[in-house]
Amino acid sequence: MSEPHERTVEIVPEAGLHARPAAKFVETANDHDATVKIGSAEDGDEDLIDAGSMIAVTSLGVKQGEHLRIVAEGEDAEEALDALERVLSTPEGKS
Amino acid sequence: MSSTITKEDIDELLPEEQISLEEPPTTKDACIEHLLDLIVTTGRVIDRERALEALLAREEQTTTGVGMGIGIPHAQTDAVERPSLAFTRSSAGVDFGSMDDEPAKLLFLILVPASGGEDHLEILSALSRALMHEEVRDGLYAAETPADVQSVLQEAVA
Repeated sequence: MSEPHERTVEIVPEAGLHARPAAKFVETANDHDATVKIGSAEDGDEDLIDAGSMIAVTSLGVKQGEHLRIVAEGEDAEEALDALERVLSTPEGKS
Repeated sequence: MSSTITKEDIDELLPEEQISLEEPPTTKDACIEHLLDLIVTTGRVIDRERALEALLAREEQTTTGVGMGIGIPHAQTDAVERPSLAFTRSSAGVDFGSMDDEPAKLLFLILVPASGGEDHLEILSALSRALMHEEVRDGLYAAETPADVQSVLQEAVA
């Protein structure tokens, strides 16, 4: 198994990781083969939750300006992180 | 990240009158109106039409069917005077167009005044956190009275 890749990304959409950006984020996570887990910037590995589950993403309640820690593991982990970062960095209405 | 709702908040957000254990309508929009009417009945909604418009506008963006058999339609609107929840459950499930294709069986509605700032996201995330636990979902399926529903949620946020 490959090493996990990770990055911490600031949430740009005004609504936070909620509504349309959240749905786009979950879809993007599911579009990749890599296993993607997320948490708040302070969360340890054991607190990370499944990025491919809408209720899990909703449960985080991440707001605009806050940071999200994303950990991806698998062959397309880096591509997954790039795509997810794009979702979080795109202001609403521009995607 | 977000402060949780407390045990005491449950009675205030979701009084027994805003919980219905009768079978709700079988379509998503009718179900949202049904949940809204539970809050209208307790006198907390100032403008029913405006509240409904806000809820349906939110569904237009993307469904509030969050998977795991759960639907949480919600809106932030001045048509409501204070943060309020409603709950019902459907044994057959209602098609919410959720990403996991599971029909929504546990249905919550959240209305928060437009001035409520971050209350809206905090209630939504606290509720979602609670509902991720299987024992909480099982408790809601098993509840026989509105008071049972309140207790399950109080336990879940405690």
